[in-house]
Amino acid sequence: MSIELEHVHKSYGSQPVVRDVNLHIESGELFVLLGASGSGKSTLLRLIAGLLLPDSGRVVLNKRDVTLLPPQVRGTGFVFQNYSLFGHMTIEKNIDFGLSIRRVSRNIRKQRTKELLDLIGLPGYESRLPAQLSGGQQQRVALARALAYEPNVLLLDEPFGALDVKIRVQLRQSLREIQQRLGVTTILVTHDQEEAFDIADRIGVIEQGQLVEVGTPSDLYQRPQHHFTATFLGTTANLLAAQRNDQSVHLGDVNLPIPPHTEHLTGSAVHLMCRPEEVKLFASRSAADGQVIGSGKVESVNFTGAMLRTVINLQAPVQTPLQALISPANARGLGLAVGQELWIGLGEYHLLPVSENS
Amino acid sequence: MRETKPVSGWAWVLIAFVVGYALVLLIIPFGTLLYGALGEGIAPVIDTFANPFVQHALLVTFVLSGIATLINAVFGLITAWVLVRHRFRGRQFFDALVDIPFVFATPIAGYATIILFGRGGWFSPTIIPIVFAYPAIALVKIFVSLPFVTREVQPVLSTLSSEGEEAAYTLGASRWTTFRRILFPQIWTALQYGIVLTFARMVGEFGAVSVVGGSLEGYTETATTFIFRAIKDRDNAGGYSVSLLLCIIAVVILVIMTALRDRVRSKEA
Repeated sequence: MSIELEHVHKSYGSQPVVRDVNLHIESGELFVLLGASGSGKSTLLRLIAGLLLPDSGRVVLNKRDVTLLPPQVRGTGFVFQNYSLFGHMTIEKNIDFGLSIRRVSRNIRKQRTKELLDLIGLPGYESRLPAQLSGGQQQRVALARALAYEPNVLLLDEPFGALDVKIRVQLRQSLREIQQRLGVTTILVTHDQEEAFDIADRIGVIEQGQLVEVGTPSDLYQRPQHHFTATFLGTTANLLAAQRNDQSVHLGDVNLPIPPHTEHLTGSAVHLMCRPEEVKLFASRSAADGQVIGSGKVESVNFTGAMLRTVINLQAPVQTPLQALISPANARGLGLAVGQELWIGLGEYHLLPVSENS
Repeated sequence: MRETKPVSGWAWVLIAFVVGYALVLLIIPFGTLLYGALGEGIAPVIDTFANPFVQHALLVTFVLSGIATLINAVFGLITAWVLVRHRFRGRQFFDALVDIPFVFATPIAGYATIILFGRGGWFSPTIIPIVFAYPAIALVKIFVSLPFVTREVQPVLSTLSSEGEEAAYTLGASRWTTFRRILFPQIWTALQYGIVLTFARMVGEFGAVSVVGGSLEGYTETATTFIFRAIKDRDNAGGYSVSLLLCIIAVVILVIMTALRDRVRSKEA
């Protein structure tokens, strides 16, 4: 049950909200559309469900062109942020709504409802009303309702957005389990990157209606192709102006080995990207390992829980502040303090093209 | 809301005033009616309701009110739908326009009906008479109670998010099925409330009905215009009896409305 989008475009008035989106999602995949609010991710989901029609482009579900078909015949299960259960119906009636529309016999409906209630961990809740359930329970029921008639694809629009943090984490784990057990192709829309990293097979980063980049969570985090992805994911990314040639990366007069997957950047000005947790600090040059790039003065140290967020001003080869995440043990070893002079080494790093400005 | 026991003297004065006010305005007239109707025994009351003209007037009142209520229920519902779900130029103006029957003196509505549908009017009928006949009575009843259904359904409809409907669509429900199974059950109580209000208002209408109907005995005379004629003719037993009947119907309607309102509230809770 694959999902394919070809040059999908949608505007509200003169305001484009989805721009030329191309996407192929494999059968059984859990794909997460990640973007800030107003980036067009929910609109894209609605276009797939048929709740909106695109201005141009094609939507293909399971090799069937559904671009102009109404939502009723697309066979998608949709879960909304605010549950949107039918308040005047019992949980059982809510869950078997899709089946009753399809005139499935009462016995089978009862059986199926029971299975689904077991699956979502709410056995025996048939005769309750939605208002008697907590938010997390209601969202489980909404998921069961969407799954009841065995849709081709499952679409979830910020499904955990209205829930407490703890419930959110629990629920996304059980969503992942259920999704894998049923093997249903799923798209989940969220602005929460932790959520995306936690459950996604692949993530699509969307910004101002454009699908910027698609990849596995670790690829997008460690080896992004675009500045936007680099800075949008994670808390921050250190970017240093550099030059790549055949043999090495030149950072000022320091030469660094070439990271993998950057052949296409040979001979051009690049940005060297390094995540804060890959920036390492050392008391002396001789103690340093990794790729030592120079020394700097510690400007600030902030406690953030598990790690210390440190800003150090690199003096040479380029003058720039660097963010580093230092473990408490490491900090104690260094006697980490503001104003201290330390050597800087890089663990993993990656290269981005400079010309790309979004 | 928290209930507090009245402690101060002023609180008692306030309560006594409100209760007294209600007694004078509501209960005493009702008692007077009861006394007036039954003061000379049950016989005049029985005579009144045995009078074929009275029976006819009641029949005209309830049948025409019933038909007009049905019409207003349907169009009131459609109006509420259009006002909540559609954005069009002049919507706010139209929204305000719906309340006109509330602020118009009803004889004006009757007069306008005569001008439009009477002899030489713009819509003067060629086949069946409208003015001084049943159609005009139904028309003015429709006019005077036009806002009720719309105004009851409108706020409920506007609180329903469109996501419920969208959920139903993605589950395979057609627009009609979605309306029948998702939307309608949620506005049904408000609609019933509006219908009951509409019917009550129509039964009680006097001014416009008396203008367009002409109160022809045994034909266009309604319950309210009969009461008016009975007063003029010093037929006290007749006037009191029919008034009492209308009052009892009103009380029954009030009870139904209270029950419905409780249901609306318990649903909201």
